[in-house]
Amino acid sequence: MKRTIAYLSLLFILGALLYIANPNYGLKFGLGGNNWLKYRYTDNYYIEHGVEEVGGMNIVTDIVFDYRGYDTIGEATVLFTAIAGAVALLRPWRGDGE
Amino acid sequence: MGLIVKTTARVTIPLIGIFGSYIVMHGHLTPGGGFQGGATIAGAGILFLIAFGLGEMKKRYNKNLYSALEGLGGLAFLGVAMLGMSVAFFYNTLWHNGPVLNGKPGTLLSAGFLPIMNLAVGLKVFTGLVSALTAIALWRRWKG
Repeated sequence: MKRTIAYLSLLFILGALLYIANPNYGLKFGLGGNNWLKYRYTDNYYIEHGVEEVGGMNIVTDIVFDYRGYDTIGEATVLFTAIAGAVALLRPWRGDGE
Repeated sequence: MGLIVKTTARVTIPLIGIFGSYIVMHGHLTPGGGFQGGATIAGAGILFLIAFGLGEMKKRYNKNLYSALEGLGGLAFLGVAMLGMSVAFFYNTLWHNGPVLNGKPGTLLSAGFLPIMNLAVGLKVFTGLVSALTAIALWRRWKG
């Protein structure tokens, strides 16, 4: 019973997402021309001003390390926590021999 | 592993390491960067672990050193981010009015703190992945 409801709700969410992803009602794919400046003005700014403001030729690195550096700090923290958790959980148990 | 695998690993591990260092160093010029290059160098470490076995890895691997280096990478990242603290956090002061790393865009010594950050993140990812994989390899109890 519960499982049926779960599958039905999954189906409903999938249908809603498919509706949203329809170019006639929601998201548009392959933006170009006027739509580029209308929906992707942030990307346009990064592409036009990235080299002079940050200095790196690689725009992705410019964004990841300079414009949105907090994000990278969070990512590094997530990696650190994951490594620390894995190493802490995989230690030998007390009285395990060795 | 067998003799062929060991010899091939002896040849390829330096090449993988050099290529990973290249990715990390040129993070601000070409695709890639700290995370990707660090994962590539960690691949060399994991190849060493698999080809030469856990016994050889235990002799070469120092848990305290790798943990310290991972923390050091994170601290270097934060410290470089705080260089321009007089203006704002993450202000790229080395690029705007710094003494070094402010060359023409496209040269190796350009882009302010980006190369330093790439090196820090690469060191962090490399040491972290190697210590995680070594911890997994050291875990050898199949039955509870």
